[in-house]
Parts: sequence; C-alpha cells; structure tokens
Amino acid sequence: MARRFRGKGDGLVVTLDPAELELLRQLPAQLGALLTGASDESGAHDPVVQRLFPRAYLDPTEEAAEVEWQSLVHSDLVKERLAALELVTATLEHATERRGRFEIALTADETQAWLGVLNDARLALGIRLDVTEATDLEAVAPDDPEASAYAVYGWLTYLQGELVDALLH
Amino acid sequence: MSGPSAPTLPVEVEEPVTDQVVETDRPWIVIVWNDPVNLMSYVVYVFQKLFGYAHEKATRLMLQVHHEGRAAVSGGTREKCEADVARLHGHGLWATMERES
Repeated sequence: MARRFRGKGDGLVVTLDPAELELLRQLPAQLGALLTGASDESGAHDPVVQRLFPRAYLDPTEEAAEVEWQSLVHSDLVKERLAALELVTATLEHATERRGRFEIALTADETQAWLGVLNDARLALGIRLDVTEATDLEAVAPDDPEASAYAVYGWLTYLQGELVDALLH
Repeated sequence: MSGPSAPTLPVEVEEPVTDQVVETDRPWIVIVWNDPVNLMSYVVYVFQKLFGYAHEKATRLMLQVHHEGRAAVSGGTREKCEADVARLHGHGLWATMERES
C-alpha cells in the first residue's frame, strides 16, 4: 500500500479513501462532546476523561498540590484538545478529490493537531473497548457487537502509525 | 553525618518552619507509565519533541516504560515537573510526579 503521508514543505499531504474521510469526519463530534463534558461532575467519573486528564500526584498526601495543579492546567488542556479538534475539522473540509481518493495538505501545526486527535480518539476507544496488551484485533469475531469499533480502532492505529513514521523520518 | 565527636552542649535547635527547606532537599522526577494504547513510535516521538532527546535516548526510555512498566523521563523542581506532566498529559501520555527516592 502506498504511503499515507508524504512530506511537502514544512507539512504533509495525506491520502484517504472516501469511506476513511467520512470516518474521520465523525470523530470531532464524538470527541468534542466528551471534551466539553470533561470538566463536569459526571465527566470526572468517566474512565475516558480520567485517562485523558490523569492526576499528576499519586501520593495522597499531595492532595492540596494536586487540586492546585488541576486548577491551573485542566481548562488549558481541555482548550488545547478542542482547538486541535477544530483545526482537524477544518482540514477535512478542504480535501481535494483526485482519481477517486482524497488528498489533504497539512501545515506543520495541522499535522500536530492530527497527531493529537488521532491519539485522543484511540485512547478514548481503547478505554471503551478495554484494550490491553493482549488484545488481538485479528481475533475479534465478525459477529462481535463491537466488531466495527475494533475495526475503527485498528484503522486509527494504522493511520497514526503512518503519521508518526512520516514525522520521525 | 557523623564525625569526630566533640563535646556536646545542649543547644536549642530551630526546626525548619517553611516547606522551602524541604523543597530544595530532594528534587522531583516525572514518571511515564506503560499503557496498552499509545504506540511505541509515538511515545518515542513525544519524548523527542517535548524534551529534545536524541532518538536513541528517547527509544531507550520508551523501552524502559514498555518493559518495566514505568520510567523517569525528566526531573527537577516541583514547578518544572508540574509543567512537564501537563505537557505529557496534553500529548496523551500517562505521567505522574514524585520525589526522587
């Protein structure tokens, strides 16, 4: 399979099938709802929110420092994630069709936003599906009620891996 | 620290009253924990991007996280470590901080 991300100036060009583009267009709504609820009382008990916004201190005697640190950084971390989501959403709107596939040119900033959003989406899905080191995506039965979610997770993993490889080389 | 014993006189020792003394005593370290979702290559990339580590050092730390479950990736004052933890969380890594033992 051809490389998904190729370098262009300071940024990258990503190539996607129509169904893949459609799938990525669904991410912002799903992640956005999660992030806007991350500071609510109910959000604090959501395991996905807990994974995206962990504690800094494990030591219970540092609870005061933990509370102060959360009050300093939590809203900024939520804002950064929402801004990345907006940036990714905007790039999906300027996809250009070429021989049945779509290409999107990404600036360096947009590339970082893609990297973060793909990772957040995988973390969220990974928690929901209870992914462990032992999870074998190849072994998920086709009639598993979560089969399509596992497939999405697998595809996001592949795409993020391609993106990281492009950035490291 | 022990040394040649000198005649001891009962002196009044002032207990440190501020946290300041303790703060500078033992520095803090930032720990990254293993998790089943983050890609190994992504973790290497984040260590390089956030800390400016060479590829070899970033890879060694990632492998330590992977095999031992955790690795100390940076350290320093409480403030510096709090900032590092926030940046790691912003990149989806599971990081905490503790006093160096």
